[in-house]
Amino acid sequence: MAFGVERDLAERALDTAKTRGATYADTRFVRRAVEDAVVKNGHVDTIERRDTFGFGVRVIADGAWGFAASQVVNAPEIDRVAALAVEIARASALAKQGDIALAPVAPQHGTYRTKIEKDPFAVPFEDRVGLLLAADAAMRTVKGLRTTRANYEIWREDKLFVSSEGSDVEQTFFETGCGLSAEAVGDNELQIRSYPAAGGRTQNQAGWEFVERFDLVANAPRIAEEAVALLTAKPCPQDVRTTVVIGSAQLFLQVHESCGHPIELDRALGTEAAFAGTSFLTTDRLGSFRYGSDQINMRIDSTSPGGLGTFGWDDEGVPASEGWAVKNGTFVGYLMSRETAAALGKTSNGTMRASGWARLPLIRMTNVSLMPGSAGTLQDLIADTDDGIFMETNRSWSIDDKRLNFQFGTQIGWEIKGGKLGTMLRNPTYTGITPEFWGSCDAVCSESEWHMWGTPNCGKGQPGQVGHTGHGAAPARFRNVRVGVVK
Amino acid sequence: MSGRLLGEMELRRVCEEALQHATGDAAEAMVAAGSVELTRFANNTIHQNVASREASLQLRVVVGKRVGMISTNDLSQDGITRAAQSASEVARIVPENPVFGGLPDARPIAPAPGAYVESTAEATPIDRARRVEGLLRRARERKLTAAGYLSTTGTELAIASTKGVWAYSPSTTAAIEAVVIGGAGSAWAEQNATDLARIDVDAVGTEAIEKCVAAQGPRDLEPGTYEVVLEPYAVNDIAQFLGSSLTGQAVEEGRSFVAGKIGQKVTGDVTFVDDPFDAASIPRAFDYEGQPSQRVTLIENGVARGVVYDSQTAFRTGAANTGHALPPNPFASSMPQHLRLAAGTNTREQLIREVRRGVLVTRFHYTRWVHQLRTIVTGMTRDGTFLIEKGEIAHPVKNFRFTQSYHDALGATLGIGKDLHLFAAGEWNIGARRVPALRLGAFTFTGSTQY
Repeated sequence: MAFGVERDLAERALDTAKTRGATYADTRFVRRAVEDAVVKNGHVDTIERRDTFGFGVRVIADGAWGFAASQVVNAPEIDRVAALAVEIARASALAKQGDIALAPVAPQHGTYRTKIEKDPFAVPFEDRVGLLLAADAAMRTVKGLRTTRANYEIWREDKLFVSSEGSDVEQTFFETGCGLSAEAVGDNELQIRSYPAAGGRTQNQAGWEFVERFDLVANAPRIAEEAVALLTAKPCPQDVRTTVVIGSAQLFLQVHESCGHPIELDRALGTEAAFAGTSFLTTDRLGSFRYGSDQINMRIDSTSPGGLGTFGWDDEGVPASEGWAVKNGTFVGYLMSRETAAALGKTSNGTMRASGWARLPLIRMTNVSLMPGSAGTLQDLIADTDDGIFMETNRSWSIDDKRLNFQFGTQIGWEIKGGKLGTMLRNPTYTGITPEFWGSCDAVCSESEWHMWGTPNCGKGQPGQVGHTGHGAAPARFRNVRVGVVK
Repeated sequence: MSGRLLGEMELRRVCEEALQHATGDAAEAMVAAGSVELTRFANNTIHQNVASREASLQLRVVVGKRVGMISTNDLSQDGITRAAQSASEVARIVPENPVFGGLPDARPIAPAPGAYVESTAEATPIDRARRVEGLLRRARERKLTAAGYLSTTGTELAIASTKGVWAYSPSTTAAIEAVVIGGAGSAWAEQNATDLARIDVDAVGTEAIEKCVAAQGPRDLEPGTYEVVLEPYAVNDIAQFLGSSLTGQAVEEGRSFVAGKIGQKVTGDVTFVDDPFDAASIPRAFDYEGQPSQRVTLIENGVARGVVYDSQTAFRTGAANTGHALPPNPFASSMPQHLRLAAGTNTREQLIREVRRGVLVTRFHYTRWVHQLRTIVTGMTRDGTFLIEKGEIAHPVKNFRFTQSYHDALGATLGIGKDLHLFAAGEWNIGARRVPALRLGAFTFTGSTQY
């Protein structure tokens, strides 16, 4: 058990809040240790270990929400913070239009722990850093690179949740991530290739075995050569419509942006309107809206092994669950909290998570995944495509505030001619409108190509929070897609 | 000093304690502490309302060319000692970094204007809620809905090193953002200041509500290249992206549009200065290594003049350190943290009046690099986009996607607003900007949406 005296302090916080007038209260204690390592251009650039510990108290008083948090963990501070949370809730009530109502959840008790094979913190430090140095050196065997980076992140978090409704759950999470990137600079040209995914690294709830399965050293020269080759590669065709096959290292982010975010019920109900935006998946569309083709099945699953959105309970003490967001192309399910579920007369499917002790839980994607189809391997899918473009690994991403108009760039592309990959393409981009795009999907690869990716950098909320979400995806094919905006 | 801050003496104690327990050739301690308080509203009600008290110690210990870094938020004596020992241990076992230039020496720090307002640090939940409630009531009266936040933060930053560095600065910020939404259209307004008393919630409400009313019923307009007038909210995005390329590290890595072009004309007649002493910004005279921040002219009338540096990039490249380090990290080691796009002479109305046919853009949304070296960015317009015809706002138009080189767009600058708008970056004040409205001759919209 990671928590001892904190459990007594949690009860004290709840008692204080109730004494001050709270009708509901919960408290979370979160202890986190993270190590980041970056090798850059052949040298160890950064080794940083970060430890953080603190607690947050969330209350309903006078029918409105209040939240306060502190890193000082002792009885007087518990009392101050719990009282402040109630004071804040009373201030919120000045502008309320109705009392907060929560969907019911039975009191929860238990523990959860990520299943790992190799505790990443127990792997010798020299071995961890040695792998990055070897991978970076393997990239630098290729001439013509400007910048190389190799990195890992290892993470352990212990979390205690106790509520005034009787829940008391304790969880331990491990995350491990890694990534390589190679950058080449030419005449007004800058190209990057990364592996296994973009954005610095890919990450899972896993131990060091996650890093080992990617064989960073063996893949390093390949991405380095591709980065250099891209400098003089043929530009992606401009502003044409064609068939696009999208690799899973790109498609998982498409799932994140164009399915994961619009199925957040807080967005649909307008409570993220000023910052992240709202959603085209309004509540009147639930159960009937044609989101995509029959090929499209999107799953919400906080039990998926390895997913960054996997847990025993969310930060409202709601148990992990699985269900459908999109079934055979029809929009059928939201990510919900207890408050938003109540607004629809439903129960929460457990998606509230905070980025740490200092922040309020928000609806966050758990693991939102495009489920595998029956198109076989990526090779099979390309062989089945007469003419088009294969695009892989994200380079840029943008989508409007209702999650309709999107534009993605990928690091690399290849022409597909007669069922075979042909010429390499530089600066590929594609753009579209979400339901039209998913509606144009006529093939999704089979389970052998399906991979659980991690997005450890999802921004949401004010004050800002960075969430960790999981997305399974397999390569898929889309017809009549608009490509090319960068010559 | 507000009871919500730890104060200079306490931060000095934490730093000295950390340095004392570090065993290496040199060590540096940085403490960032503060109180983040934010009242968030949507659907005309306060739905999230938070306060957190946070502090962290980041410690760098150096042994020869080996560097270990630890951060902790346990500022007890035991916590500090553990962090110092742990950083020292990492510094002993980590492989050497031959391009590490050592911790910087102490240099004199010039005084900067104050950025701390006691009453803002002491603002209460009721102070914020009352202000917000007035805005929400006005929106309700007009049958509109408002969403956004009002925040007050009090933060302090201290840096000390065994090389004699000591720097301390408290600051406050108050910020309001509001989007007001009607049945078919929305609008935006925003204010930032170091002093809550200078946040004019009524003015923000009026701006967003009146523009929202004008934004109802947007019409289709074909994507294409248009003359534009950008409100400061949109210009802030351009300044932020270009600023991130005006660093020594971006030049070193070949990602900057000014790489190899210092002294050359790189854009239109605009001037970017990073001014840590700008009293109208959120001034601070030192960076995250405790080095004195210099006023740096980055672009002068379109000619690239310089970039900002941290100590390590300066060491690697042989440049002078300008004192613009961010907290140590391998991806962005420095940044212009008090960026100003020089004001022009035009009122907003004059900028619009000069446009024969063009688009007025309130703000951008979800902007991302498509190609950093060419400063090509994609994003959406949002919360008030209008067609301008013959110098008048003709009608609202549906939102566009743009894919545009930002420095190319500034290359066709036709007019610059006379009023600068302050933007603060995040609750920890990493990077403030002051920018005007702009009139640009050509801006490329590459797609549209249905609202």
